[in-house]
Amino acid sequence: MDKEQKDLLLLPASFRKIAFGIMILSVLYLLLREWQATDKSAIQTMATSGFLTSLLLLAITKSKIEDERMTKIRLKAFTGSFIYAVVIVITNPVVSFIFGDHYALDKRVTELLISMFFFYFIMIFILKKSQ
Amino acid sequence: MKNSIKVQRAIWDLTQEALAKRIGVSRQTINSIEKNKYVPSTLLALKISRVFQKQVNELFELEEGD
Repeated sequence: MDKEQKDLLLLPASFRKIAFGIMILSVLYLLLREWQATDKSAIQTMATSGFLTSLLLLAITKSKIEDERMTKIRLKAFTGSFIYAVVIVITNPVVSFIFGDHYALDKRVTELLISMFFFYFIMIFILKKSQ
Repeated sequence: MKNSIKVQRAIWDLTQEALAKRIGVSRQTINSIEKNKYVPSTLLALKISRVFQKQVNELFELEEGD
């Protein structure tokens, strides 16, 4: 592993299992909300935080073999997802104007972050296949 | 930039997987380098040259437009 890869400070590959565990628990917790009569918003907040934590862990966890090509792909995907989020926020007024506030993402930070993570994972998948 | 890694692999009877293991990268990385889709760093190029006991410029060659 070279200096550039160490500078990224990624978590060991074993964290992937922890991330999937948190993700499953969050989804189950969110489903549980449907049968709970108590404070639903608190459950949703906790489940959403758990889901976001799992996505973050997956994003910053090393792949099985983390080499320089993978580092390059990762950096491209990070850049791409950052640009994606900025473009969403910039174009949001137009989207709100045309389609109404229901489609606006900039006020709903959680959805924006989740879509950003998905954009990042899709970019990694596509770049891995194409490069 | 073109390279002769595939030829050298054949000479040394190494699979992509075996070469990848020896230099600590994934098999996909070796495949990408061979197909000229990915240009390796100096460090990786030196590691490859050490495996094949060749100079780096014997393995990698600049093309027109590089």
